[in-house]
Amino acid sequence: MRALTDVTSETLRRWRESQGWDVPRMARELRKAAKVSGEDVAAHHGLVKMISQWERGNRAPRERYRLLYLKIFKDSLGDLSHGMGLATDFAIRLAEVRSRAAGLPDSGEIRTLEASALARPRKTMTPAEIRALAAEAIAHLHKVADKLAELSALLADPEPGEGKP
Amino acid sequence: MITREDQIRQVLAELDGHIAAVEASIAVLTTLSAGGEALEDEGPR
Repeated sequence: MRALTDVTSETLRRWRESQGWDVPRMARELRKAAKVSGEDVAAHHGLVKMISQWERGNRAPRERYRLLYLKIFKDSLGDLSHGMGLATDFAIRLAEVRSRAAGLPDSGEIRTLEASALARPRKTMTPAEIRALAAEAIAHLHKVADKLAELSALLADPEPGEGKP
Repeated sequence: MITREDQIRQVLAELDGHIAAVEASIAVLTTLSAGGEALEDEGPR
């Protein structure tokens, strides 16, 4: 059950191992998938190092690499998600939403943007409106954190009596 | 009866909404901080 709650490390290793691939093979598959969609990715040796770091949880893959993983494992996700009691499309949607959440700026970055916006004279928004917009963004950011925690709890702890009529 | 998957879908939908709200606000703040003007609400012309 932990696999889907930790998309950046254990899941990646499990997906790779489910195919019987070693890390260099995984790097080749990522490059192949990137080539098909015309994307630039790191060189083979760089990818090998990055994959090892992602699987150890030392670094989180950027969104484009997560999407490449999803592209590569879309078919086999059916089996993995089956083991977690989730539909394939649902598992992919879950991973995509988590990836979007991971790409959001933190409250400090929002405050920096707010200060930068306030430093310029505006015709369309007053300073009070800009402050309100930043405050609203931070409030939603906190809700995102709350919902992610709620989601992780739901994914980690099957409800009592699950599977019973 | 609400299943675990229903609960997850509900949380996921709420999460999606909050992420979209943050992204929209960030887009406006980024435009403003870059020297642009936020788009005004479209009204009758």
